[in-house]
Amino acid sequence: MTDNVKKHETPLLDELLKGPWPSFVKEFKTLQDKKAVANDLLGQLEYSYKTKLGYWKHGGIVGVMGYGGGVIGRYSSLAEMFPAVKHFHTIRVNQPAGWFYTSKALRTLCDIWEKRGSGITNMHGSTGDIVFLGTNTEELEPIFEELTKEGFDLGGSGSNLRTPSCCNGQARCEWACYDTMGLCYDLTQTFQDELHRPQFPYKFKIKMAGCPNDCVASIARSDLSIIGTWRDNIQMDQSAVLKYASDGLDIQKIVVMNCPTKCLDWNGKELKIDNSNCVKCMHCINVMPKALAPGKDRGATVLLGSKAPIIEGAMLSSVLIPFIKLEPPFKELKDVIGRIWEPWAEHGKNRERIGEFIERVGKGNFLEEVGIDPVPEMVKHPRENPYIFYDEYLEDE
Amino acid sequence: MSEKQARITDIGPPHHDKFLPPVIKENYGKWKYHENPRPGVLVHVSHSGAKIWSVRCATPRILSVISIRKICELADKYADGYLRFTSRNNFELLITKEANVDPAIKEAIAIGYPVGGTGNSLSNIVHTQGWVHCHSAATDASGVVKAVMDELFVHFQEQKLPAKLRIALACCLNMCGAVHCSDISILGVHRRPPKADDANLGKICEVPNLIASCPTAAIRPTTKNGVATVEIEEEKCMFCANCYTVCPALPINDALNDGVSIWVGGKVSNARSTPSFSKLAIPWLPNTPPRWPEVVSAVKNIVDVWAKDARPYERVGEWVSRIGWPRFFKKTGIEFTKHHIDDFKHCGGTFATSTQMRHNG
Amino acid sequence: MSDELKINVEGVGELAVDEDGFIEDPGKWSEAVAKHLAGTEGVTELSEDHWKLVNYLRNYYMEFNIAPMIRKLCKETGFNLKKVYELFPSGPAKGACKVAGLPKPTGCV
Ligand code: HEM
Ligand code: HEM
Ligand code: HEM
Ligand code: HEM
Ligand code: SF4
Ligand code: SF4
Ligand code: SF4
Ligand code: SF4
Repeated sequence: MTDNVKKHETPLLDELLKGPWPSFVKEFKTLQDKKAVANDLLGQLEYSYKTKLGYWKHGGIVGVMGYGGGVIGRYSSLAEMFPAVKHFHTIRVNQPAGWFYTSKALRTLCDIWEKRGSGITNMHGSTGDIVFLGTNTEELEPIFEELTKEGFDLGGSGSNLRTPSCCNGQARCEWACYDTMGLCYDLTQTFQDELHRPQFPYKFKIKMAGCPNDCVASIARSDLSIIGTWRDNIQMDQSAVLKYASDGLDIQKIVVMNCPTKCLDWNGKELKIDNSNCVKCMHCINVMPKALAPGKDRGATVLLGSKAPIIEGAMLSSVLIPFIKLEPPFKELKDVIGRIWEPWAEHGKNRERIGEFIERVGKGNFLEEVGIDPVPEMVKHPRENPYIFYDEYLEDE
Repeated sequence: MSEKQARITDIGPPHHDKFLPPVIKENYGKWKYHENPRPGVLVHVSHSGAKIWSVRCATPRILSVISIRKICELADKYADGYLRFTSRNNFELLITKEANVDPAIKEAIAIGYPVGGTGNSLSNIVHTQGWVHCHSAATDASGVVKAVMDELFVHFQEQKLPAKLRIALACCLNMCGAVHCSDISILGVHRRPPKADDANLGKICEVPNLIASCPTAAIRPTTKNGVATVEIEEEKCMFCANCYTVCPALPINDALNDGVSIWVGGKVSNARSTPSFSKLAIPWLPNTPPRWPEVVSAVKNIVDVWAKDARPYERVGEWVSRIGWPRFFKKTGIEFTKHHIDDFKHCGGTFATSTQMRHNG
Repeated sequence: MSDELKINVEGVGELAVDEDGFIEDPGKWSEAVAKHLAGTEGVTELSEDHWKLVNYLRNYYMEFNIAPMIRKLCKETGFNLKKVYELFPSGPAKGACKVAGLPKPTGCV
């Protein structure tokens, strides 16, 4: 395909072929002989390294019929120098929950992408999608047809529900307090329309973690964070605790002193837990996985509103529902999701994330709107300022 | 092929059941505990006694189809074709035969995928697109990540750090990589106000949205040479590039001024301390491709000082909470400047309001 | 904008467009232009409903200088989202806004 195309020299990028960490430059180079687009991508990137500037035009708008998201348009501003990357669109492909694959499925994806695009991927993007980097507008419909034939679909982009993602949960983690992958799949299927057809003021992300370790950073990276937890006693195997101690673990220093609520007590023979004061932080369990485990009455805390700085500053998700049981068909949760979308979709301003919306209208008012009663678990502490908004006041007859 | 074949849409992702190894299907939700027999390997043990070994291997996140096929071969050879990717762009071979673990590790390393990232180690750096694919980038992503990981490589392979170390990189304040809650965040920053392309702005941008986009109200409508455009009050601009996001006619990228900032002490897990944002350590370092030596040595310095000084299980932020910010700056030798003092909305809450101080130390 | 991309509209002449086919100067829009652009978005015939949507977008833009949010569009035209995608299969942003000659939508992808 590129027999008569000259390979771009990349002295700066070649410096990044050195060293022990896997090199992304090598990934481009493995395709340089096969694909003009890989060659021109290297050329343009080398030029960026030389001039310290990027050369991609502001996002284009391309897509497949019937969907308002899933493809990100990208054009080079140096198309004359690097014609093969004139179009370099991204396709977001919805990943299987927990990012599990068989080699067969991956090969199918590779074959489609090698034929119809640059052959370059991100495994995965920070929202969770499989990211196919670089193709032409004409290839979009054929790629979509081939993907759906193999059972894959596009992910989200734009002001829609973004591709939900989750940790590997009960598939391979003893701490998962609910079936993260089952819920992730179910929500993704339930909200296909919201995922493919933008209808919100701005993006909306859902991430599911099985326990408070939050391996998918849901509390920082998703508008709706569903984090597993429990509300009964930590399960304990006292003999396994003793084994950790006799194997040399300093239980007092490493476990007890790091408990945030000082609810552990160790006398050298027995570990006691004041479960009524345990805040389910996971620390003691993380350190002694063979001796301790989350309780049996498991569910999740639902938090709302995290986002990056743009526009009003970064936010972490804050508590919406302190504890919810999560069993299929997850009716209560889905109902809540519908109720939180409604006021935001109706009254949110253009490009206002739900966290910003809640700050603007007041969390108290928002709760009233979605029909959830305020409880002290929702705040770090009650208000410190006396500027209380009352909806109405009394008047003499 | 018939002309008018029904188009398949809205099918969602394939169900994960199709991709789970039999031992996981049989033991779904029945895992009892796990061990970490060596760096990069976890073995999960079920109540039934069944075991599965996961071998965690690093990738550069950018993967060619050729590399993915090599990874598939590895999975076929040692893991019956089963593998998964992690939230930090590693892949894990899911192995059921213990005898396959060591050869799998050996071969993964031999073909260029180092094994590690478990326990108290540095896992892969979550990052974004940079100059490889984005219009907004103030720095490259993959190049900085590669240079930093080369330098800190030993911490990926070993588990000798006080606690987990999570580094993230985003190439602009949009923070697609969600870097604001990492032990160490590397963030590309612009430092020159956008310059309006007056001739085109009125045609290709929605001016009311543009004005509303600016968090500091620095943008005003105006007319130049008879065409509607906008004017930027430069002293109000804090270079967030939000205006550029909504309007391509306000380019903000600038080779002389763009660079990299470093933030420390955030975390997302609830273990011990609550999740928290990272705080500013270094406001600006130059963009110096291809290997960003200033950024690499700044990150390495912070890691070294923390690794030496922290107590077991103290994440960077927890360590700083114990020793205090003044001592963080003293120990790392990083200069504290007026830029470290917040001056955006609600900044008052970050000022010190007590006499508690560690004067002698 | 350096690319010299053009479309040729019958009775109107040449118009500059960007890579995605949005006209570069919304002021040059006309019904003939709309008909031409509809063809590029898989809409062969502009029905009364198409025009209702296009005119709504156009008028909103002329009045406020911005595109309406999608909910507002649905509410004020009486079309639900499904109907909007039936009318413009490539969606309200890429399809309908293009045909109505609005600036290319931007924002976070
Ligand atoms: C606020 C404004 C934001 C803007 C304007 C923006 C813009 C962009 C752009 C232009 C790209 C495309 C890069 C490419 O060409 O591949 C992109 C990719 C992406 N963005 Fe954003 N972004 C924003 C915020 C965010 C946030 C807050 C997140 C996540 C927390 C996010 C997650 C992603 C993801 C996952 C990708 C795919 C590529 C990757 O994983 O690196 N974005 N964003
Ligand atoms: C000993 C306790 C822990 C165990 C057994 C554990 C288990 C796991 C597992 C199974 C994964 C893969 C998850 C996935 O990609 O879906 C993972 C990933 C991750 N976990 Fe944990 N986790 C533990 C503690 C923590 C803690 C305390 C934190 C953070 C403070 C944390 C942060 C992460 C991160 C960032 C990842 C992505 C890792 C990577 O790709 O290398 N984990 N963990
Ligand atoms: C719920 C709202 C508040 C109540 C009920 C309240 C009540 C009081 C009371 C009873 C005093 C003692 C007055 C005295 O000793 O004569 C006081 C003093 C004071 N309050 Fe508040 N206060 C409130 C909120 C605030 C807030 C929000 C601030 C500042 C941010 C504030 C700042 C002060 C100061 C500085 C004093 C000391 C004044 C002095 O000694 O001259 N108060 N407040
Ligand atoms: C002070 C420093 C900050 C630190 C340490 C920090 C740290 C983090 C971390 C650790 C994450 C999750 C990263 C991961 O595990 O992959 C994150 C996500 C994120 N941060 Fe920050 N962050 C900081 C400031 C900011 C600021 C100033 C903004 C925005 C203005 C911001 C916006 C975001 C966003 C948008 C995400 C992803 C959330 C999403 O998915 O929507 N962060 N941040
Ligand atoms: S979040 Fe909890 S349940 Fe999920 S993988 Fe991490 S440690 Fe396991
Ligand atoms: S989970 Fe956390 S709060 Fe609860 S006992 Fe263990 S260390 Fe203490
Ligand atoms: S962080 Fe900024 S520069 Fe990097 S991919 Fe996201 S929008 Fe682009
Ligand atoms: S860069 Fe940010 S602060 Fe500066 S003018 Fe643009 S929107 Fe306003």
